[in-house]
Amino acid sequence: MSTTVPSSSLLDRVRRGEAGRDLGYLVVLLAAAAWIALPALSGDGTTLAGTQTTAVVVAVAVAAAGLNLLSGHARLISLGQGAFFAIGAYVSAYLAVDSSLHPVLAIVVAIVVTAAFGGLLALCTMRLRGPAFAMVTLVVAILTERVLAEWAPLGRLSGYPNTLDHGSGLMPPIEVFGTSLEPPLFAGTEATVVVAILVVAVVALVGYRNVARSAWGRSLHAIGTSEHLAAHLGVNVFGRKVAVMALASAYGALGGVFYAQVFAHLQPESFTMLLSITMILAVILGGAGTVAGPLVGAVIIVLLQRTDALTPLVDLQRQVSDTWYLSTPGLIGVLLVLTLAFLPQGIVGGLGELVHRFAGRGAGPAAVVSTPATTPASTPASTPATTSEVTQVDADDVLLAVRGVSKSFGGIQAVRSAELVVRRGTIHAVIGPNGAGKTTVANLVTGVYGIDGGEITFDGRRIDGRRTHAIVRSGVARTFQTPLLFTHASAMENVLAGFPDTGRLPLVRAWVKDPGQYRRTRELNARAAELLALVGLGEDGHVEAGSLPYGKQRALEIARALASDPRLLILDEPAAGLNTAETAELGRLMLTLREQGLVMVVVEHHMDLVTQVSDEVTCMESGAVLAHGTAAEVLAEPAVVEAYLGVEMEETA
Amino acid sequence: MDAVVSGIVLAGLYALVGQGLVLTFVTTRTLNFASGELLAVGGFLALGVGSWSWLPTPGKLAVVVLVGGVLGAVVHRWLVLPFARGEHDSRWLLSTVGVSYVLLNLFTNGEGANPQRVELTRNPGTVELLGVGVNRQSLVIAVIAVVVTLALVAASRWTSGGVVMRAVAEDPRTVALMGISPRLVGAVAYAGATALAALAGVLWASEVGATPGLGVHVLVSAFAVAVIGGLTSFWGPLVGAVVFGVVVQVSAYELGALWGQVAGLVLVIVVLVLRPEGLVGRRVEAKL
Repeated sequence: MSTTVPSSSLLDRVRRGEAGRDLGYLVVLLAAAAWIALPALSGDGTTLAGTQTTAVVVAVAVAAAGLNLLSGHARLISLGQGAFFAIGAYVSAYLAVDSSLHPVLAIVVAIVVTAAFGGLLALCTMRLRGPAFAMVTLVVAILTERVLAEWAPLGRLSGYPNTLDHGSGLMPPIEVFGTSLEPPLFAGTEATVVVAILVVAVVALVGYRNVARSAWGRSLHAIGTSEHLAAHLGVNVFGRKVAVMALASAYGALGGVFYAQVFAHLQPESFTMLLSITMILAVILGGAGTVAGPLVGAVIIVLLQRTDALTPLVDLQRQVSDTWYLSTPGLIGVLLVLTLAFLPQGIVGGLGELVHRFAGRGAGPAAVVSTPATTPASTPASTPATTSEVTQVDADDVLLAVRGVSKSFGGIQAVRSAELVVRRGTIHAVIGPNGAGKTTVANLVTGVYGIDGGEITFDGRRIDGRRTHAIVRSGVARTFQTPLLFTHASAMENVLAGFPDTGRLPLVRAWVKDPGQYRRTRELNARAAELLALVGLGEDGHVEAGSLPYGKQRALEIARALASDPRLLILDEPAAGLNTAETAELGRLMLTLREQGLVMVVVEHHMDLVTQVSDEVTCMESGAVLAHGTAAEVLAEPAVVEAYLGVEMEETA
Repeated sequence: MDAVVSGIVLAGLYALVGQGLVLTFVTTRTLNFASGELLAVGGFLALGVGSWSWLPTPGKLAVVVLVGGVLGAVVHRWLVLPFARGEHDSRWLLSTVGVSYVLLNLFTNGEGANPQRVELTRNPGTVELLGVGVNRQSLVIAVIAVVVTLALVAASRWTSGGVVMRAVAEDPRTVALMGISPRLVGAVAYAGATALAALAGVLWASEVGATPGLGVHVLVSAFAVAVIGGLTSFWGPLVGAVVFGVVVQVSAYELGALWGQVAGLVLVIVVLVLRPEGLVGRRVEAKL
């Protein structure tokens, strides 16, 4: 009886599932916090060392969490997170002691300043691909180390604050609401600052997880996979890279602030390059791009460094040679290389894979609603049949117009004064031999390259010169010649990345995760399930995209493109690699979509498909348009036949 | 004027190491973050072979450079190749960072952190240059850097080796189909780059003494130089080093040594904003 659940309560269950997991995470964090806080509050002298160590674990975990968003999700490898940690620590201390700002205000300013510095650095370096970003972060880390050790106002090697300059080697404890937040330094004093640190850390880590699991986090993952893809999902890649760097720097600074509060004194030796390496190792060892990874990694690394866990290993080496052996920093280096070689997905990532493998399909993420048989084709694509009825008369009839567009790369002219006019309600095929410039035209339309001459209009507005994400947001979606998917994520996740939220959800809302976000997640899950069903993947929502057969990967790309609710869909060789049955299925899907008002440009070699679906055909050769008309007209054109088959002139003679 | 001339001369050291970075980047799109520690290893090797009285100095130098080359090939085979599978794999960056800590730690434990005097290629004293007294050793290094740069530019322009190097970076698969092993080219590039680092290590250690941390600041400056000049051109390190050296020395003269280094970083950032591909790097719009 209970099997006939109305779909709303089914979605309720999904929502409760998500809220339940969020609550579970919070409970785990709070339990860990309580476990750390209780001994700290006893004030017992024997607990001091342990409390300091756990507090450092918390500080490094927060910094590593921020670094994970940057280096794990967006794959921008930073070797300078330790520098931001140091800047946060020193700036907050300096403002409180030397500028006598209220310590809480000093902390806020320190975090903002560090985030701004990180953002500025990103603003200057993010146009580059390749290792330049890592190189610059390394330079920053080494220089920070040097400034701390050599600049007089920061106390040089005497540390900050120091007795000589400030009369005391310790920062005064923060006073809030009549309570003094004491550091875990003196026996008999309750280490109240630890409680404050834990409260802030829990909030920060909840926000971190919210971001990582939101559409915003998905956009970072997209940038890490392919910036080309991310831009086509409507993500302002440059802006987002700057934002994630600022966010990561803020988390680094917060970790540094914790550190400063725990020890009430800063020594430059604590903030060497090795600290940055420790943090990136925490991310990689725990599992880059996983939520819990950096936290697990931070616990392991800090305990290895601050306890005598590595001593037996060092002693063992010293029995062999008392001069040539590795101590902690060297062993950390070895651990880094070994992790990269044997556990590149990290502990959490590796465990996740194991669970996935053994639990099989059944234990897929709860997000995969077993499509509650809602009418699949009821809601898709915004504009219904109305546009397709208005045929062939208006001047507004044209949706996309490429006029006289040229493009060369170095000395090679890839496209020369190309013309492509796509009318509303139609499917327009672009054919031509390999290297004719078809994909380049697609790339020019979506703003991947700037054009050298001519103009491109979409819906009557010039779009040439605009950036990819802006063009995509105005209603253009596309698939790629070789499918660009998140191969390690589920099909469902891939479709979810296609929604406009990926590019548009503001960071603050992602961080806070207001109740509206839960509602939106439900909507998107339901809609994604519909889209999967529409392209024939209704059963495959929880399957890893990379393990889908090629034909289904192509279909998945189309579903993702449709998620943005586009007015124009550009399909780049959608039938390449498909078998006959799959190609026919693709043709039917395209005709269905056309009925719903979607305009399509299809770059294709498959003449069967072209004749089956296209209203108009443009044939290109060597970057120029060779012929244009209906499929029958174009394919009958001798020049087209010659371009494809290379017919010699002698035959016509 | 003093600062300008000494800046230009000091730039030789950074250019020499930077040249190694460009060499591996042009061919493999990777670079060795352990170059600094390998430079220090060069310094200690010089210390080691220094006692071989049966071998004349050029022979000793050749041994160090050769060992450096072998180490470079080893780094490529075991720390770069397995960690650079495809365009999106940048684990090589972290694996070379990891090994740099292993070397730094090993040599700190084994040799101690204090500088040890290296006699192999000592050129004490100063020379008069444009009316300025210039450290003789720095001048030797600068001359070598110029010679190495000219040799690499000539090789890349007038021999098939240059074409092969660029081709390997652009499209390793096609190059492999044409019977050239991209692995071998990569190994040779790493060997050459590390030999340069080892040579720089010997020369620099002869000036300031061998320490495990000898290379850290040299590498940071070499990074700055390579980014300023551009990672894609053999002229890059030399041009970058001169600009960097002058800016650092002049600011150090005016503001103190610490702020000279900071000014160098600011210069890197300014160049990245104005010319992300570096002063003499080629800007190529890649067709995807």
